[in-house]
Amino acid sequence: MGQHDSGGNAPALRTERLGRRYGRAWGLRDCTLEVPAGAVAGLVGPNGAGKTTLLEMIIGLLEPTEGHVAVFGETSRAYHEAALARVGYVAQDHPLYRDFSVADMFHLGRAMNPAWDQGLAQERVDALGIPLKRKVKQLSGGQRAQVSLTMALAKRAPLLVLDEPVSSLDPVARQEFTREVMTAAAETGLTVIISSHVVPELERLCDWLIVLAHGHVQLAGPTDDLIARHQMGFEELVMSYLSEKAVTR
Amino acid sequence: MIWVSWRQHRSEALGCLAVLVGLAVYAIMLGTSMRTAFGNDGLAGCLAGSKGAIGCPNAVMTFTNEFGSEVNIAFWSVALIVPGLIGVLVGAPLIARELEYGTWRLAWSQSVPRARWLAVELAMVTGGLVVVGAAMTAVITWYRAPMDQLTGHFQHNIYDFEGLVPTAYILCAFGFAVLAGLLIRRSIPAMIAAFLPWLAIRLVIEFLFRPHFLAPLSLMCGANNCSGNNGGYGISAIPPATGHIGDWVLSQTPHGFLYQPASRFWAFQSIEAGIFVALTAAALGAAIWLLHRRAA
Repeated sequence: MGQHDSGGNAPALRTERLGRRYGRAWGLRDCTLEVPAGAVAGLVGPNGAGKTTLLEMIIGLLEPTEGHVAVFGETSRAYHEAALARVGYVAQDHPLYRDFSVADMFHLGRAMNPAWDQGLAQERVDALGIPLKRKVKQLSGGQRAQVSLTMALAKRAPLLVLDEPVSSLDPVARQEFTREVMTAAAETGLTVIISSHVVPELERLCDWLIVLAHGHVQLAGPTDDLIARHQMGFEELVMSYLSEKAVTR
Repeated sequence: MIWVSWRQHRSEALGCLAVLVGLAVYAIMLGTSMRTAFGNDGLAGCLAGSKGAIGCPNAVMTFTNEFGSEVNIAFWSVALIVPGLIGVLVGAPLIARELEYGTWRLAWSQSVPRARWLAVELAMVTGGLVVVGAAMTAVITWYRAPMDQLTGHFQHNIYDFEGLVPTAYILCAFGFAVLAGLLIRRSIPAMIAAFLPWLAIRLVIEFLFRPHFLAPLSLMCGANNCSGNNGGYGISAIPPATGHIGDWVLSQTPHGFLYQPASRFWAFQSIEAGIFVALTAAALGAAIWLLHRRAA
């Protein structure tokens, strides 16, 4: 699919001593990570752990206070076109313009992204039964999430970042959304980073795990290795790092 | 990007169009009857026939009594704030709405850097506001044309609706509101925060600075050259103390009057519009710079 052309053998994501300070408090500090190309990485942590801060620095929406981020081997500089174009992003609560129709949203995507894939966008909403002419404000929460995901996919960026994509959805929409992400990742070899505090949701989805608490990385690596090494179940493993390590720090 | 800006501001454009149509209907109705009366009273002849003094004072008085009340006072005094209202209504939500609804995460995570996104939005909307301002000015100027032949257009409440300044007032309020929207992050408080300084600056410039944009001329009154009515001041003085329609008489001195000659109208318009456009540019430049620099 040509998704990895921009990076060769470089990891999809590498951060080095990445940190972001808000006034005196650090939202995230000393974050060194690597996520290989093609992985579906789960980013887990309680609210306020620094998940959104990390994701926004990866996307290029937020400038790091220290350290640096590279996506497919190329340093991401905040607010720069090249950094923005490398990442598809579904923000928390799936923001879309309420008085736009779905077609208008796609028009916006086409106008603002050089690699926009209109065919992919239309096929996806057709398959989901979402009419192009319907206004965003008339869509259900699940449909809105799907339109957001569609826009991120149609951007044709090699890295897809999803920030708490299912936390506002009902169980049915959750399952549908998760299935769509897995299908897209499997079909295109896309690298996905998905943040959540809904741990069971991630178990089915992720082959890579990052646990974040109190602005620091507590645990990171391939899910299977981590489970084998700790001899615990996925959920148990995550919970143990969220509570115990966070307290001892 | 141009399409995106148009789609986002379509409803505001339609709102401005509705205001313009309303204004045009009002202006055509009142302006037509004013033109008819102007012709019936033979005022054009009165004005052409005499230099310094007006030929037929009774006809002039009849005409100004008929249209003076509508042309001036209440309506136009309220209308003075309209450019400010248009500017803040369009400007405040431009960034604040994105921050309020969280759509900034969508808008600024596409492949267009946020500073460029803002620059395009501002260019488009500023262009639209210039068109709106110019159209409003044209309608009002056409409507007032017969009245302007009697009073000139240098006086307060007339000057402010003609020439370049109405458009510059709109742009300035818009610039303030865009910046306030970025700093305050909420549309309605940003409208208020932008409108109040706009009004203050607007009034300070009108009453403290405008009379002195260029040094006023002084007129010494001799035997019969201070021929004006009503002491020579204001709209109702036809002609003003200088005897020349369109002169703006500022104040009385022991031996005569200080005034700005009618020929300076466009120089004054250019100076004042220049001040407001400079304020606009400063506010919009600051907004682009801040958005480029800081995390939203």
